[in-house]
Amino acid sequence: MRQALLLTLMYFRAYVRDRTAIFFSLVVPLMLLLIFGSLNLGAFGKVSLAVDDQANNAASQQFVSGLEKIDTLSITRESSDSAVAALKRTELDMLLVVPKDFAIAPTRAGQPVPTLTIYGNDARPQQVSVGESIVIEVITRLSFAVNQTAPVISLKQEDVQGVRLRYVDFLVPGILGVNVMQLAIFSVAFALVVDKRRGVLRRIMATPLKPSTFLVSQVVTRLIMATLQVLIMIAVSVFLFDVHPLGGILPLLLVALFGAVLFLTIGFALAGWAETENQVPAIAQLITLPQFFFSGVFFSKEAAPEIIRPITNLLPLTFLNDALREISVQGATLWDVRTQILGLLVWTAIGLALAVRFFRFDRF
Amino acid sequence: MTAIVTVRDLRKRYGDIEAVRGISFDVLQGEVFGLLGPNGAGKTTTVEILEGLRKADGGDAIVDGIDVSKEPAKAKHRVGVQLQQSAFPENFTAKETVELFALCYGVTVDAMALLKEVDLADKAGQRQEKLSGGQRQRLSIATALVNKPRVLFLDEPTTGLDPQARRNLWELVRGIRQSGTTVFLTTHYMDEAEVLCDRVAVMDHGQIIAMDPPRALITALLGRGFSKPVIQQQANLEDVFLDLTGHELRED
Repeated sequence: MRQALLLTLMYFRAYVRDRTAIFFSLVVPLMLLLIFGSLNLGAFGKVSLAVDDQANNAASQQFVSGLEKIDTLSITRESSDSAVAALKRTELDMLLVVPKDFAIAPTRAGQPVPTLTIYGNDARPQQVSVGESIVIEVITRLSFAVNQTAPVISLKQEDVQGVRLRYVDFLVPGILGVNVMQLAIFSVAFALVVDKRRGVLRRIMATPLKPSTFLVSQVVTRLIMATLQVLIMIAVSVFLFDVHPLGGILPLLLVALFGAVLFLTIGFALAGWAETENQVPAIAQLITLPQFFFSGVFFSKEAAPEIIRPITNLLPLTFLNDALREISVQGATLWDVRTQILGLLVWTAIGLALAVRFFRFDRF
Repeated sequence: MTAIVTVRDLRKRYGDIEAVRGISFDVLQGEVFGLLGPNGAGKTTTVEILEGLRKADGGDAIVDGIDVSKEPAKAKHRVGVQLQQSAFPENFTAKETVELFALCYGVTVDAMALLKEVDLADKAGQRQEKLSGGQRQRLSIATALVNKPRVLFLDEPTTGLDPQARRNLWELVRGIRQSGTTVFLTTHYMDEAEVLCDRVAVMDHGQIIAMDPPRALITALLGRGFSKPVIQQQANLEDVFLDLTGHELRED
């Protein structure tokens, strides 16, 4: 016990001295958090709408200023020619042409009315449909006002508390998960393959040190590192991005450590299997890259093609991210995320079996 | 003199290759014993079985009264080991490396005293990966001495060292022998075996083909009528080299 503790301290001291290791376990994760946290990818953004007001009369000006009051629209005034060119370059979402005969006046059935034309950017269908709805809504209101009729149905809006999810709230748990995965797999796989190839492990095995004691020191060193990483990231999220994990920091940390243990077993299996450190990145990327994109790190895991979703839902990182996100965003307790924790434990068992199979001290 | 290492009919095979084919020998307490042979002769396999790193397929390997195959952990406490490639964990200083190995044996040592013994006291605070080849070999010997071993195994300790560093290491081995530790070394440098070893065993194709003190082997060879063209010179190129560059260690 004392031996394991001292050995851990020695290895931790060496780990902290390794600038490359620190870069990958602390600096890169922070960069990911800062870059993606400030990108605000989840926001829909504004619909950019160019208006070619060919009428340029009181009525058209009233209409356009009505549009300008709407936050979602970012309005510029442009001639049709230049706006169409901008549309083709995808610099613009929509063009609204207000005809010369534009007027706001009471109408009677059968009488011709001024016709507005909308050009939409095919590449941005979501923005175009939102923009169209807004323009139609403004026209409807004007019609009601002018024709002195009232809408037959009214809509009352109510916000549901707590669902006001910003992108950064969604992002932080995913970033925690993916970085714990990277730390656990890469730090073990690289360091131990190098030690294996250079004969360091063999030299240590020539001493009476028990392999289990050595393994404990390696695992605990990484768990301390993962704890530091998680705490620093949470601190940055809280102070910089105003993210407040609803379920508390301790459950978040515990689940992250569950994940760390799981990915450590995979790291050991990889370190045992690989002959040289050159093989490590290829296999490690093969394991981590799909999870990077399909396990809900930067965007919802529902973005994965439906046909592979039964598989992506069972990926180790998916369990980890789901659990972290439910705790952080929905305030779930450890008991609430027991299914995900069970998933992590099953994967840990698989990883452990692989590690025992491939990481063999008698073969070093 | 009593035997401290006893090997009887030792065998080891890797697939189709019979690396060690039933060898037997004794190493006497307090001597420097050399296992000589070309690459692939089975030296390292033999040493690694004695160190408890490999399991023999058959035969006995007894070190300081302990059957290595039955109690490898106990045997490991009695021996000091320097492997052919001496590599240590990175980001440890020389002193920490010694302390790390002491911890592996569950003992406490005066790391500075040990480093002084191998002439590395001034490098105590330097990262081990920044040491020169000769310095790292000496550090390797320091780590092999942390448990005050009864037998010190050195596997090709001077391979890759310059003449100065080799001579420095020979002095170190002589000092260790003088302090009463038995030294078991492998080498394929005959000059090294001749100056260091009390007795040598020559191994080839997994078998021991000769065993005696170096002088006795040379005398026997001459007795069989061997002669080579005698060149009357009192020095060789190495003497010239050392005369020109000095015996001082070149490391930094």
